Amino acid sequence: MPPDRLSRTFSALSDPTRRAILARLASGEASVTELAEPFDMSLPAISKHLKVLEHAGLITRGREAQWRPCRLEARPLKGAADWLEHYRIFWEQSLDRLEGYLKELQGKEKRRGRKH
Amino acid sequence: MDANISTAERELVVTRVIDAPRRLVFKAWTQPEHIARWWGPQGYTTIHCDMDIRVGGAYRFGMRSPQGTEHWKRGIYREIVEPERIVFTFAWEDADGRPSHELLTTVTFAEDGEKTRLTLHQAVFETTEGRDSHVTGWTSCLGRFADYMLTVAQGE
Repeated sequence: MPPDRLSRTFSALSDPTRRAILARLASGEASVTELAEPFDMSLPAISKHLKVLEHAGLITRGREAQWRPCRLEARPLKGAADWLEHYRIFWEQSLDRLEGYLKELQGKEKRRGRKH
Repeated sequence: MDANISTAERELVVTRVIDAPRRLVFKAWTQPEHIARWWGPQGYTTIHCDMDIRVGGAYRFGMRSPQGTEHWKRGIYREIVEPERIVFTFAWEDADGRPSHELLTTVTFAEDGEKTRLTLHQAVFETTEGRDSHVTGWTSCLGRFADYMLTVAQGE
């Protein structure tokens, strides 16, 4: 995934309201009014969040119905998750090597210590 | 649903208890001759290791995969508290040497008897400009969250 796309995804995900909206959409499409229900927020404020999510490609909005249902698009999220998974592997394997290296280093220190 | 959201809000965290004294583990993270020996996944070799280990100092590391591909990463040290903690930014470079999305990495070293408990946190910023005011965590837990959502979305 190109970095600018990732940045948009992460930027959209950085807000708790938007994450809650995505979580809600995971259980099916919903209208703006339905999405606004759990929040103490005006409809325009919710619409603003939806625009950010739409711009990031995380949701799409229906054109057919007047209530324009919001739908979750999970692919960008999957891309972001895969990308972070690379980091996890990177760190886990680096730390494995660090442990091995420190063992070797301490072995050398001990041997040197005995000579003195 | 709430449980999924709170899980997703946690940062990427990796914890290890390392069988070595803290001063040594800290040294291994802050001296180039040590870093070059362990940095990177299995089978990778360090080809470049340039680090200006002070607050605001930059580093740039290059490594080569077993297949011969080079990977470069760079960042800035934001905090160095010997022997407890280092905080630095982390970004891979693309083929043109431009840094990709930046992450803030915090590594803490705690004494655990003769051993050292190392904890690594990695956070994703909302924007580069916003990193100091509001660091927002996003995580490997995101993986589970996203997989879950993808499963649900596809199941419909």
